[in-house]
Amino acid sequence: MSLNLYQFHEGIKKEGILFCYSGPISQSTVEGIGATLRLNMELEDAGASTAQTVFSVFVEQMQNILNYSAEKLGSIPETEKELRKGVLVIGHAEDGFFVYCGNRILNGDIEGLRSRIEAIRLLDKDSLKTLYKEKRKADPEAGSKGGGLGLIDMARKAGKPMEYGFTEIDGTFSFFSIKVSVQEKGSWKV
Amino acid sequence: MESLRIEAGKSSPEIDFDAASGVLRIRGESFPENAAKFYQPVMDWASRFLCEASGPKAVLELAIVYFNSSTSKVLMNLFQMAEKAAASGRDVSVRWICDAENETAIECGEEFKEDLSSLPFRIVVTPGG
Repeated sequence: MSLNLYQFHEGIKKEGILFCYSGPISQSTVEGIGATLRLNMELEDAGASTAQTVFSVFVEQMQNILNYSAEKLGSIPETEKELRKGVLVIGHAEDGFFVYCGNRILNGDIEGLRSRIEAIRLLDKDSLKTLYKEKRKADPEAGSKGGGLGLIDMARKAGKPMEYGFTEIDGTFSFFSIKVSVQEKGSWKV
Repeated sequence: MESLRIEAGKSSPEIDFDAASGVLRIRGESFPENAAKFYQPVMDWASRFLCEASGPKAVLELAIVYFNSSTSKVLMNLFQMAEKAAASGRDVSVRWICDAENETAIECGEEFKEDLSSLPFRIVVTPGG
């Protein structure tokens, strides 16, 4: 590979990509990139409420990688911190922003995840609100490290149904991708 | 009972629970990696403080600019704990403080309030700017 990232840089710029991160993620990554993202949203002239929504989808996506990515770099015993790998892309399209995220998962976890997304993907905002409130009051699910609310929260904030997919890597792993679009206030198309 | 103070971090809020005045303050942003773990001492303290039926009047004063979904779950647990204490005679209420320009925070306060019918829950909107 020649030492030239120009093509790559121009390519992602053409796609409207503002941010692109691939690698190990820790909570400090979430805090650091999050702070820069906020500044970036100001420069993009996103309204306060749109910026807040994009930031919040970003946090949920990153913390999903942090909690669930099957690609680990081992853990640092003193801090009980684990580094997990994933990809995060934030872009600005014509009708709003998108937060695109991917990470490895175990093949055995595909069906569970698929059914959790399918169960909420096409629900309207009122049904999502009801479901969110029910889950928030319920006891946490087994295996859930967050509140089990992250996906529902993102679906509530999404301007259109979340898009997702699985790509098989080998007999053990697949790659999971999920894209959440956030409508800009004022450009809401019905 | 000793007061509980935790300094704000980059992704965790300032906690200032004052046993003498009964004002339990949470202020800032909350998106820690593990919300249940971060809030464990907070929940333990609140549980001990609120279970004394004869304790002073308690006010949960929250000014949280942004919180993630796992924090949302913990806050609901905290409010439910306060609601139970209120039902057993303790004078306890919530002040949800938010900036007029932070629509999301106002909506979030309203959503908590809707689910806590027997806990006095006041949304205090402060002028933006």
